Amino acid sequence: MFGYMIKRLIQMVVVLWAVSVLVFVMMSFTGDPTFMMVPLDATDEQIAQARRILGLDESHLVQYWRFLSNMAQGDFGRSFVFRQPALTLILERLPATLEIVFLAMALALLVAIPLGVYAGANPGKPASRAVMAGSLVGISLPGFWLGMVLIFIVAVKLQWLPSSGRGPTTEWFGLRVSFTSWEGFRHLILPAITLSIGTLAILMRIIRAEMVEVMKQDYIKFARAKGATAKGILFKHGLKNALIPLVTVFGLMLGDLIAFATLTETIFAWPGIGKLLVDSIYRGDRPVIVVYLMFVALMFVVVNFVVDVAYALIDPRIKIK
Amino acid sequence: MTEGRNTRRSLGSGPVVSRRAALALAMAAGLVLPGLAQAQVKSVTIALTADAVILDPHAANELTGNIMFYHFYDALVTRTPELEFKPGLAESWQIVDDTTWVFKLRRGVKFHNGDELKASDVVYTIERLKKSLMASFVANVASARAIDDYTVEFKTPKPFAVLHMALAEVLIVNEKHTKAIGDEQMGLKPMGTGPYKLAQWIKEDRIEMEAFADYWRGKPKIDRVIFKPITNPATRTAALLTGGVDVIQDLSVRDVAGVQANPNFKVVTRPSLLNLVIALDTRDKSPTIDLPKNPMQDRRVREAIVRAINVDAIRTAIMNNFSTPSDQYVPASHLGYVPGLDFRKIYPFDLEKARSLMKEAGYENGFTMTLDTTNNRYVNDAAIAQGLAGMLSRINIKLNLNLMPRSNFFGYIRVPSDKSSFIMSGWDTPSGDAGNMYSVLMYSRNKKAGYGQANRGAFSNAEFDALIDQADATADVAKRNAFLQEATKIAVREIPMIPIHYEQDIYAAKNSVTVIPRMDKFIWAYEMDVK
Repeated sequence: MFGYMIKRLIQMVVVLWAVSVLVFVMMSFTGDPTFMMVPLDATDEQIAQARRILGLDESHLVQYWRFLSNMAQGDFGRSFVFRQPALTLILERLPATLEIVFLAMALALLVAIPLGVYAGANPGKPASRAVMAGSLVGISLPGFWLGMVLIFIVAVKLQWLPSSGRGPTTEWFGLRVSFTSWEGFRHLILPAITLSIGTLAILMRIIRAEMVEVMKQDYIKFARAKGATAKGILFKHGLKNALIPLVTVFGLMLGDLIAFATLTETIFAWPGIGKLLVDSIYRGDRPVIVVYLMFVALMFVVVNFVVDVAYALIDPRIKIK
Repeated sequence: MTEGRNTRRSLGSGPVVSRRAALALAMAAGLVLPGLAQAQVKSVTIALTADAVILDPHAANELTGNIMFYHFYDALVTRTPELEFKPGLAESWQIVDDTTWVFKLRRGVKFHNGDELKASDVVYTIERLKKSLMASFVANVASARAIDDYTVEFKTPKPFAVLHMALAEVLIVNEKHTKAIGDEQMGLKPMGTGPYKLAQWIKEDRIEMEAFADYWRGKPKIDRVIFKPITNPATRTAALLTGGVDVIQDLSVRDVAGVQANPNFKVVTRPSLLNLVIALDTRDKSPTIDLPKNPMQDRRVREAIVRAINVDAIRTAIMNNFSTPSDQYVPASHLGYVPGLDFRKIYPFDLEKARSLMKEAGYENGFTMTLDTTNNRYVNDAAIAQGLAGMLSRINIKLNLNLMPRSNFFGYIRVPSDKSSFIMSGWDTPSGDAGNMYSVLMYSRNKKAGYGQANRGAFSNAEFDALIDQADATADVAKRNAFLQEATKIAVREIPMIPIHYEQDIYAAKNSVTVIPRMDKFIWAYEMDVK
């Protein structure tokens, strides 16, 4: 276990380094951010002064070296545009994103597991076919379109839920959260549904496919023979053995939603980190892009690690080496 | 915010609440608190297209930030919505000699922290700006000096008749406070003499302000103002229709008819300051034209291009009528505008004439060149570029399109512009003076420092330069205006650039909110009211 963690740690450092190099190389092609900061009528001296203020007056190599050495001291660089530490910008927006992503994932699991198990256990029934057809729709619906339709119907026409934005927030262990009040929770519902649909459909299909396989196995027949209840067979013997692929995909989807909930956040004017990434690309704000993508890479490494540990917990035959 | 909204609903707009409920609420309110309507805290929620990035007025110059800055800070000179210049923190000023101006400060102006505005704050502001990213705001100030607590003397590097107009963009900060909290905190905690104080800024969610009771012009009518960033246009409209916000900026063109049809809302439009212009290359050899000589050096070719562009078609087919064809390079409110002179009347759309001009110039068979422009900066920029390609093909000019995001564009087209022949970009001059645009965009390159630095087509006309020199050598506004008007006439004759149109600003609001659209687009809650 210890050796495994060391190996993972080294992998992580390599991945993070590669991401930082990639972003620096890519950003050196996208034009000089100074021109976005200075007025169009700026003179050469004013531009030189702006470059000095932004730390862009040196070669890319020197800038990269400075970035690395600062990072070694825990300084991740400062946004050109916001003039604030890049990491702070990400961390102050993170709770809002985590909130909708966790709710969306909970929603997806809550719906996907029973439906998937049902469809997998009774593959021939018309209801199962309907569930499967529905999941195809869920996968193919673009999130932004669904979001717009939900806003139009639920918020504008029916006036049941607010159309956009985050509701009132309260401090909770130093984090700003909105699910603690009813009004805040109401604001969460539509973005969470929008975000969950695609994931829900994929998870459901995976559970169904695995369940179909598992239900053919001999141990299911034995369980039936020994007189286990139908529910026990489905969830204890069936679902538990179908979980491994589900956990893998769940982990990847979770990381994906946190990092790239951009479209949903933009549609619902949700103050999360996804919008920060898009805006920063748009403004050529390299320090934020670098730290953001490194943060995402780190998150995926951690999620994968947790998934590996979960394997061992679910299936005792798997050993972490 | 929620309280204010609910109460307004119950008191006024019926359709949202059922009639019986409204009646019951109104009765309850009437029984308990007869004076509720007067006692109620007035609040307004305004949806903008983006969040501010930084609240330090000397660190950024983008629209959302500017809107915030003018709520927290004031300048010595104030711009009205119609772009007139009126006394602000300075109650008067006079020109002592060609390069010396003396500004008298208003007495008793309070900062949000209770400090009184002093001349030293003004001097400090100028010095801070000179070292900042926005140094160009004070390019025409050589030095500032406090004569006494309420008098500041400005020196300009050369006679500059419109210093007061330029100073309308210089927002005054408090010296003691700024030095104490440092640059990084200045970006988060604005503190000025403006009508509103920052109450709360939750990034990407809301900026909340409350009225500053000791504001020198008088306490604002609206007590609480909330700005919300809603980037997606359809979401912005939905937020207005569902009552989440009271006013929205940049109503999407496709939603205009729908909102207008709803009796609870109104649509407010006005032409903006942003003039979309095309710079024509006039160098001997042009980078994207594969001919030994640059055809656009010939004035007839430039005129042919103007006549081949159907600005009205751009307005109706691409802009859904939400644009105003430009008659000159600057709007009528500006110094240098010549009343009665109209680019569109001098060079009306006329393909026959355009073709014969091309023939006269020896380019009957046309030529190929590239248009450089953005695809995410101006309204419908990519569609306009495609429209231009179609129009110019009628006079045998094959226009290749080079569209790019704005993060690449401004570096790409930058002078010496050695990759470009034909550049479409926007230009706005909130300083109300054509001189700025002319000296930067049309004055000969490399002749004088601070002139011609964005002259992308390398236009060079001695007569034009001389007029700008004369305009910049007088401290008399009337004379400056006369010189600039002559320069306008030359530019319209020589066509260094083709003005296309001004974009239209479109707002939508609840009927109960008075919205005053400003020419500079800086929504200002101090000028608004809520019924």
